[in-house]
Amino acid sequence: MYDVEAPLAGRREVARGVWVLGFEAAPIAHSVRAGQFVNLLLRPGPLLRRPFSVYRVDHDVVEVVLKAVGEGTRMLLELRPGDRVSMLGPLGTGFALEREGGPVALVSGGLGVAPMPLAAREAQALGLTVHWVHGARTADELCREWEGDEAWWATDDGSLGLTGSVLQAVPAGVGQVLGCGPNRMLAALAERWPEAQVALETYMGCGTGVCLGCAVPRTSGVFDRACQEGPVYRAGSIRWRELPAALHYAVSA
Amino acid sequence: MVEVGGVELRSPVMAASGTFGYGTDVPLCDRKALGGMVSKGIFLNARPGTPPPRIVETPSGMLNAIGLQGPGVEAVIRDYAPLWAAWDFPVLVNINGESVDEYGELAARLDGVPGVAGLEVNISCPNVREGGLFFGNNPESAAAVTTAVRRRTSLPLWVKLTPAVSDISAIARACEEAGADALSAVNTFVGMSFDLGSGQPRLAFRTGGLSGPAIRPLALYLAYQVARAVSIPVVGIGGIARAEDAMEFLLAGCRAVQVGTATFVDPNAIGKIAAGISLPLVGKDPLAQSSDRPLASR
Repeated sequence: MYDVEAPLAGRREVARGVWVLGFEAAPIAHSVRAGQFVNLLLRPGPLLRRPFSVYRVDHDVVEVVLKAVGEGTRMLLELRPGDRVSMLGPLGTGFALEREGGPVALVSGGLGVAPMPLAAREAQALGLTVHWVHGARTADELCREWEGDEAWWATDDGSLGLTGSVLQAVPAGVGQVLGCGPNRMLAALAERWPEAQVALETYMGCGTGVCLGCAVPRTSGVFDRACQEGPVYRAGSIRWRELPAALHYAVSA
Repeated sequence: MVEVGGVELRSPVMAASGTFGYGTDVPLCDRKALGGMVSKGIFLNARPGTPPPRIVETPSGMLNAIGLQGPGVEAVIRDYAPLWAAWDFPVLVNINGESVDEYGELAARLDGVPGVAGLEVNISCPNVREGGLFFGNNPESAAAVTTAVRRRTSLPLWVKLTPAVSDISAIARACEEAGADALSAVNTFVGMSFDLGSGQPRLAFRTGGLSGPAIRPLALYLAYQVARAVSIPVVGIGGIARAEDAMEFLLAGCRAVQVGTATFVDPNAIGKIAAGISLPLVGKDPLAQSSDRPLASR
């Protein structure tokens, strides 16, 4: 775990209102694994850090993907190149791919695309075939950046790819499913692929394991920490009905 | 070294209960700066804690309702106390009960366990349905819990007070008379926040404890009143994020401080705070510090 004063290196819009921000943070860039996250602090800014899955790594640059959902993300999108954030990471436990596990489907909805590029690279490094399966509400909200061997798209309104749930777009014959997206999508994914690995988004306090704020209800009966044991879990090990269907972001000023 | 109620602290800056786990998960904290720490609050038995959402950010603060999730005292003694025994700073255990007897039982169980430097008796948790804050909101029950713990242990005994009372001085004096060695002032303030979309409270527990800089002046005034009311040492808590904040609590008569929410923001907040405190303030007699200062109107 490192705490890096990380300057904004660049940014690009990858779908309407969805931005990729790259920060220079060499020690994190060189150690992060797919599914892990970083916790960003803005000063001046809201009291608490804001957690983001690492999207891609390019040499010393760590990329995150976000849109303005609250005060913290709005302020992040106002940063100019060279402006610094404190980046804490890499945090959490990421995906675990198996070399003998068969072809991989990376299934994401909306901002759930976040951990998938790193997952694609790790899968390909193991020699695995990667199906990139991504859905969004509409074509213009859909991030077109993808990695792997083949891409499959879905939109709620049918403006690109299949109409309806991204789960329908998953091709036959995959051996390992990795998912990230809204809780209601992941809950549906859990019914079909209980063994899938999903990266959860939760409200989070510290990101380092001490506040117990990011509680994840497990079928074993315990709450554990998205920031430590998670954010990646076997989909069938979560008590989905006890998680909010979607997160709401507080404005803190 | 700073002596607080029978505990030798290495510096006047400690980690507050519930913000530092059991001391094993904060790799970026400069542990040489740590005066000591208080463990996550424990009960006799394991508790799952409250369902999510457990935290929500508010202006300059946060609400939490964790519900004292923990493995229970036997697991703490087995898994953590042996680690603490090898550390070079003291670890106090924050204890909680659903009844007066349960506090006493916990104290007896922890008495003489290597690695346990003292007890912080939590009569002020706002996030449990039984016990917790209930014991801290009148002098008789606060004294009853303190007495029950005092009878069962020779460990240094601190009592952590709730701000949700009309006269904190009376509670503080009751704990002192019942045998407390020091007082921690204060725990979180009860608060809530609604989500306008759903019309529901943002926290699953509905209410939570407010912490962070938002409470600092309120907590400071309460700590000041406690320091004036008793002759045992007071440990100030509430929104401390910078050395200057800690020094305000020391000026108010506190012998030491605890840092909590700031650690969530900066894992090395304690190191930075301890490094920034000007030494002449430390260790002065709290009453001498405060006696010639004007009281706020009550």
